[in-house]
Amino acid sequence: MKSLASFALLLWSALPTYPQAIDLKLPLQDKSVRFAVIGDSGTGLDPQYDVAKLMARYHQKFPFDFVIMLGDNIYGGHSASDLKKKFEDPYQPLLQAGVKFYASLGNHDDPATEMSYKPFNMNGKRYYDFRSGNAHFFALDSDYMDPDQLTWLQQNLSADDSSWKLVFFHHPLYDDAKFHGADPDLRSELEPIFIKAGVNVVLSGHEHVYERIKPQHGIYYFVLGNSGQLRAHDLNPSDQMAKGFDTDRDFMLVEIAGDQLYFQTISRTGETVDSDVLKKQSKTAP
Amino acid sequence: MRAALLLLLILTLALGADVRVDPDAQFVADFDARVADYMKLHKSAESHFPMHPTDSPSAIAKEQLAFAAEIRTARANAKQGDLFTPPIAAEFRRLISIAMQGPRAARVRKSLKSAEPVTIPLDVNQAYPSSVPLQSTPASLLLNLPHLPKGLDYRIVGRRLVLRDVNANLIIDIIPDALPLS
Repeated sequence: MKSLASFALLLWSALPTYPQAIDLKLPLQDKSVRFAVIGDSGTGLDPQYDVAKLMARYHQKFPFDFVIMLGDNIYGGHSASDLKKKFEDPYQPLLQAGVKFYASLGNHDDPATEMSYKPFNMNGKRYYDFRSGNAHFFALDSDYMDPDQLTWLQQNLSADDSSWKLVFFHHPLYDDAKFHGADPDLRSELEPIFIKAGVNVVLSGHEHVYERIKPQHGIYYFVLGNSGQLRAHDLNPSDQMAKGFDTDRDFMLVEIAGDQLYFQTISRTGETVDSDVLKKQSKTAP
Repeated sequence: MRAALLLLLILTLALGADVRVDPDAQFVADFDARVADYMKLHKSAESHFPMHPTDSPSAIAKEQLAFAAEIRTARANAKQGDLFTPPIAAEFRRLISIAMQGPRAARVRKSLKSAEPVTIPLDVNQAYPSSVPLQSTPASLLLNLPHLPKGLDYRIVGRRLVLRDVNANLIIDIIPDALPLS
């Protein structure tokens, strides 16, 4: 009997504690750009569903229009049942509410399937851009950063100097995770383009943790690869880390209002693990 | 008369020097021609199975399988070295080794490690296995390799360079030992 009680207590303590109230730290200004961010989400396992449920609850208080996906959107097989279990079912409340999803490709994704899958809004392309209000988003394929993609990026980034420029892709240029670490080869090709074009924010996944990096050459960098996966205690903090979280899954909410970008990163249990407001940088010469 | 003959000889030698072909460019041109031949087949299959965006993953899978089957059947006798002939493969190995010289070598190897390297059997005219991560290809390597038309990509798998049809997810050709030993 005593061992049964101990087992029950152990089970209870292992259960995530869900917040009763939504703790929104974003200003909800008129005509702001509102979106959510998830990365390395597509496991089809309970933690992904927990995060998705919490996103749906936050959506009622903070009606974001779209979600950007930082790659590894679908792990393993890519059959109809896989896409249902790893995307359609967990995010069903958001999809039904008209929230759009914009995917970028990770190394576990099947490009041919996901590019053609309408709910990912890739329109048959490995890399693409879209606008929302005063923000211009660029989804890249960091698995295959070929010269054609680099040229496309240079041309399209430089065509617009008025908006916030946010670039998202799978492999981080900066991070403090032990398992992979940042990709210096990718950084050597992309960073000069970002600096020259005045990119404001870069978001990546791949590492199964959350990390905000102190601005590098004036650019804000986020890593968020734990919306389904988790590599617990993988962060090895360095001087470049502004904030890290590696003990549970999470997602991020973002609101852009004029020259301010507000963000709030929320764990699976509803804890706000990071939040702040970033000011749009003025474009400086490299 | 003698002066005219001498001038003719000099002109002939000079012209002869101009028409000598750069062997590296020749290999790349040969590779481009082989890729162009393959793309005729790819485009023919694409016209039958155009892979339009759809809400239905089943429809995507069906189109992809049919697309791949058409190419597989048409290349039933395909073998390693059809596109990467020995001289072309040697040129690719040379280009890769240039991209991996000096400080770039460590960068490229770090990038490859970040791709979650796998050891898997691969065969020409077979699918890239969906159960393993698709291997990323470092950006600075891609800058040094011959340009590919849309629909094909290079993947580094172990030390092999793989030429892959993206929509069909088919392996078109392989260069073994393409990467220098670390």
